[in-house]
Amino acid sequence: MLLLAIVAITTLAANSARQLRYTAVAFFAVALAAHLIDDGTLAAAQVLVSAAAALVASAILFVAARDRRFGEDPGWRLWIATIVAAATTAAAFVFLRPQTGDEINTNLLGPDPSGVTTDVAAFWLLSSGIAILLTARGAVRGSLGALLMLTGTQLLVQQVPGPHLALTLLLSWLQVVVALAGAFLIVNQRAAREA
Amino acid sequence: MIEVVALLGVAALVAFGVRKRLAVVGTVTLAALAAAIAIVVLMPMDASGEVLELPWHMSELARLAAVVLLGTLCLLVLAVWVDEPAYNFFPTALVVAAAVLAVLVLTTPIAIYGALLLALLVPVGSFTFQVHRNRSAEAAYRHFSFVALGGCLGLSALALSASLGRDQPPSTFVLLVVILVVAFALKLAAIPFHTHAALLASEVPASALALYFGVLVPTTFIAFALILVLSGLLPAIVSIGKVQDLLLALGITSALGGAFLATGSTELRRVAVYSVIANLGQALVGIATLSGPGIIGAMAIALVTGLAATQQLLAAGTLERRAGADRPSATTAPLAALAFVVGGFAMIGAPPLVAFPGHFFVELIAYSYSPWMGTALVIATLGVLVAQLRAAMAIFRTAPERWRVERKPIAGVVGAVVFTALLIGGVQPDGFLQPIATFADQFIRALHPL
Repeated sequence: MLLLAIVAITTLAANSARQLRYTAVAFFAVALAAHLIDDGTLAAAQVLVSAAAALVASAILFVAARDRRFGEDPGWRLWIATIVAAATTAAAFVFLRPQTGDEINTNLLGPDPSGVTTDVAAFWLLSSGIAILLTARGAVRGSLGALLMLTGTQLLVQQVPGPHLALTLLLSWLQVVVALAGAFLIVNQRAAREA
Repeated sequence: MIEVVALLGVAALVAFGVRKRLAVVGTVTLAALAAAIAIVVLMPMDASGEVLELPWHMSELARLAAVVLLGTLCLLVLAVWVDEPAYNFFPTALVVAAAVLAVLVLTTPIAIYGALLLALLVPVGSFTFQVHRNRSAEAAYRHFSFVALGGCLGLSALALSASLGRDQPPSTFVLLVVILVVAFALKLAAIPFHTHAALLASEVPASALALYFGVLVPTTFIAFALILVLSGLLPAIVSIGKVQDLLLALGITSALGGAFLATGSTELRRVAVYSVIANLGQALVGIATLSGPGIIGAMAIALVTGLAATQQLLAAGTLERRAGADRPSATTAPLAALAFVVGGFAMIGAPPLVAFPGHFFVELIAYSYSPWMGTALVIATLGVLVAQLRAAMAIFRTAPERWRVERKPIAGVVGAVVFTALLIGGVQPDGFLQPIATFADQFIRALHPL
């Protein structure tokens, strides 16, 4: 639960940041906390691969900022994104959580084998990402939205039985490509705006 | 198979390193693509294996689609090399080739989807050019947003459906399948999710547009069909008619909407792009009928439309470049103009080209499904026909005084190659349709598992 709280707070930090460099650092914190949530199937290799990809993605956005001041002021979009994300997370949890009939037990620090924490974190990240992406004016917040959505997706894919390491590697590559494409667009949109 | 994907990946890295030396990068790219096609053709049918526990299988459909799509990439690379040098295009084409091959041979739905997203995101670099003068950066950003949004939603829906037990309420599966369908509609630019395609059509370079509509959109459609079969979601679609209705509604809206938008377009690129959207609408209807002929027709339409789109978009790009500030005309590039017009035959599914059986099957099955649906698809085809005729008349409004072949007639050459391939396919349709029919059998079996 503590990690879930960290995911929520750092998502808000990334969403509210006016400078891309702060956004990049906050995204790394989001991804790290999300990948450390233990649902009983956590493997060191997967955490390492996912954390490395998150670090690379954050570094790419950090470098793309080029200076400390560059970014996008979220303004009212911050509140819309937060309210929509909170409502959608609750709705997704109600409609899409497996109905096992088991009692849900969560604790503050230990692992959560019921997977509730992972599910809530995934739905929160997906909802936040969608809200940010849909209200974004440009590539700065668009990239953040895409990366948050992908992190939420990674958490859901992690629960699927099958070749975990291969899927983790594939999604990690995807995260790096999303960051690269986002950074490319940020640089181009900035060039077009400053011309 | 991993060796072929690795070969293309390494070639992409080499191509990126030498991207400004046009002769070298062009040779490396074409050689790598040709080698990949040769290996795919020579690989035994039904070869299979595992990569990091991810299973892959070379099916008949995978081989056919790989040859068509990698062949289309070869033509595009040749066109860019000779006529429209763009440094980023070569490594992009190689990465796309590797991802397309992975989509076709992998058998894990989530892995197929992941590879597809990689393929769709990589061309963002090829979409932007001269960002100070046009809106290509905005078009690329919109494409990025649509792919990220649709991609993550679809991937999440797949992951949830794979992790949920089959004893969940039907409404849960309906919701997940609806999310998956909408996610694919976003990536296929199906109407009403086509706004990014409209901007791409007018702003990005013709070669990048051909890469998207000629290679990536057909790959997305094939991935959609593969994922439906492999994910085990088809029985849920059959048992709950609403999802099938949603697919039919999306298909008909795209077929009619695409045709009407094409009819009203004055730009050659838009005519080609909206014709593709109209054809994909027909293909969606084919899949939604959940019948053998419908599935065969749908897959055939997707592959042939990709080839025709490549032919028309490259020709449109050449005509626009040669015309400069004037209207595109056959007087400046007669062979490219001819290639554009001939591409229209494939777009409307005219015989004797191999484009005909696909359209025929889908329209026939649509009529047997419901007369008004069949009529709607025929109206859509007529709309595309009118649009193509208007475009042809606009190009040939001023007849050339002397028919002189333009310098570097690469668009004409690509058009001739594509037309010949489609004609040979039309004369020998079994070679093209048999692998698709095998996949249709697999699809039908997945509808009613034992």
